[in-house]
Amino acid sequence: MLIMGEVRTGLLQNSAEIEERDHQAVLGLLAGERVRMSRRPIVYAVSPDLLTGVDCRLPSASRARIRGVGTVVSRSSITGGRVLQGSSYVRVTRGEVNYRLPWSHYLARPGVVEVLGKVSGPDVADGFLAFGAPGEHLDLGSVSDRFMDVVQESPVLDLRAPFRSNRTRLRWVAETGEPGVHFTLGEGQERTLKVTHQGEFSPAVVDLCEDLALHDWLLTTLLTIVQRARIGGASRPEVSARLAPAVDTLLHLWMPGARIHPSLAALWESLERTPGFSRQWQSLVERIRDQLAVNTLALLRETNG
Amino acid sequence: MLVFAISDKGGTGRSVTSSNIVYRRALQGQDVCYLDFDFGSPTVGAIFRVSTASRGTTKGGMHRYLEGEIPEPTRIDVWTESDRDAIRAKPAGAGQMVLLPGDEGGGEFATFDGEMLKRCVRLFAGLHEQFDLIMVDLSAGRSFAAHLALAATAQLPRIPARWLVFHRWTRQHIIAANGLVRGDHGLLDVGVEHGHDRDALIDRIRFVRTAVLELGSGDFAHLRPAQRSWLNEIDRELRELATRHGVGLTTMLGKVPLDPVLQWREQLISDDDVAGTEIANPETVFAFDDLAKKIVDDTAWEGL
Ligand SMILES: Nc1ncnc2c1ncn2[C@@H]1O[C@H](COP(=O)(O)OP(=O)(O)OP(=O)(O)O)[C@@H](O)[C@H]1O
Ligand SMILES: [Mg+2]
Repeated sequence: MLIMGEVRTGLLQNSAEIEERDHQAVLGLLAGERVRMSRRPIVYAVSPDLLTGVDCRLPSASRARIRGVGTVVSRSSITGGRVLQGSSYVRVTRGEVNYRLPWSHYLARPGVVEVLGKVSGPDVADGFLAFGAPGEHLDLGSVSDRFMDVVQESPVLDLRAPFRSNRTRLRWVAETGEPGVHFTLGEGQERTLKVTHQGEFSPAVVDLCEDLALHDWLLTTLLTIVQRARIGGASRPEVSARLAPAVDTLLHLWMPGARIHPSLAALWESLERTPGFSRQWQSLVERIRDQLAVNTLALLRETNG
Repeated sequence: MLVFAISDKGGTGRSVTSSNIVYRRALQGQDVCYLDFDFGSPTVGAIFRVSTASRGTTKGGMHRYLEGEIPEPTRIDVWTESDRDAIRAKPAGAGQMVLLPGDEGGGEFATFDGEMLKRCVRLFAGLHEQFDLIMVDLSAGRSFAAHLALAATAQLPRIPARWLVFHRWTRQHIIAANGLVRGDHGLLDVGVEHGHDRDALIDRIRFVRTAVLELGSGDFAHLRPAQRSWLNEIDRELRELATRHGVGLTTMLGKVPLDPVLQWREQLISDDDVAGTEIANPETVFAFDDLAKKIVDDTAWEGL
């Protein structure tokens, strides 16, 4: 009926990219199972799916009291040995009965939350995308966050990340229909995404949302670093020093659509037209490169002249 | 980095000084946050002039988060939510400045359990991801909040943590500040109980003198010679006392002069208060700026 999820994205708390062999230790904390890895075009590792049981109110734009029971599916991933994501989603369906069944019933339907009573899909979707006060409703973001916290607690990490950064929060809803995608930048770290796809829902949609969240985080983080560098305001060496972590850490991670199923590629392409992620990224990268080049030249001139 | 602000006595200037340090650090371009762990009287919102949290928040603050009632504590962006124009004018290049207020009517905790400790550890670790400086204002004296902070930092050995002990420049305060650190059930004793190494912990503690009268300053120009030499004598005695109690120059991170504005009101001193309206003294801002740099300057924290 309705599928909704939240992806949180942040910087892995380590001074360097983590080694390929460390991914298992870092992500494996979540469940004893094996971590899935792919190496091309960028190193990407993802934990097995994890389930969290929930029995709580669902968000609702009309503030209706809607009770849902079931399980949330989550996973954590690391891209490029640097960027950590926690991603959770549920399929909201109408339960067959108006009372809570034994847990075995819900465990047999991983990732499904059944509503006890009446429910309107669009009402829940709008309520969810509105980012209400935390703690009142099913909070997929907190679930994602918890799994990220567990990863960040890994003893393999030195907690000396090259710069401070915020976790972004991307909430998405998906439905079947004429293919389309609508992304909005909310207040602070909040973003929303509405995806309409052809045919049945498949986990490839989750991949798309995670990939978008990853690139939105890269862009957001790079923008902050550039703003802080005070180009034109601070001294040249200062500006260069402030831009350096971005160059070392972020620039090579930009690979939009790298893991997207071909059937959804058109959706990424439409996001590239509006809002035009890669265009903005490219112009930022050029600005940084120009700054560093100019600053280096100035420095050379000073030392030689 | 985690920085804990403590003092033995109430009213030492712990909150005002640590708030101003945080403000200066943000102006220096760092991302900073301020946590009100003074559960009994969470009034830090008033210093930042955030009216929605002047006596703590009603939307779920530090206390309710630690109790496990809410998944995340309320955060207030001081740059946008302060009522003071001078604060809302965020200069280019300044870092984030976020307040995590206490709860209105929260009250001190009597004890803490493992769950609360876990929540505290998670909070600190999460904030470390986002902020360069995390200032935690603990309540005065040997508080539960200090226990919790010591227990949490013992579990977070990879996050640098430092402790600032605020005291006034008087006989009583000097003795009390030392007692808070080295006395029975003081910071070191409790720290060791929670798994800290005594010597490592002591290297992370520095003292800050607040509201200090500088004898060389113009304020004393009108004094008679007899008065001046008497004051000099007192000051010498205090310095000796401080050294004997381990609160001397070697363990002092800095001192803040007595400021007329702060004497009247708990507030952030903006550059406009000094250069524009000239109500505050430039030396005060200089002292805050200096402390804001020294907090993170490793040479000021080398083992003694
Ligand atoms: N440098 C200073 N010069 C003059 N007055 C000061 C100075 N620093 C602080 N004060 C004043 O001292 C008083 C106590 O300060 P503050 O509230 O910061 O202390 P505190 O240690 O946090 O107290 P409490 O234990 O009650 O929380 C306030 O009125 C404050 O404005
Ligand atoms: Mg106080």
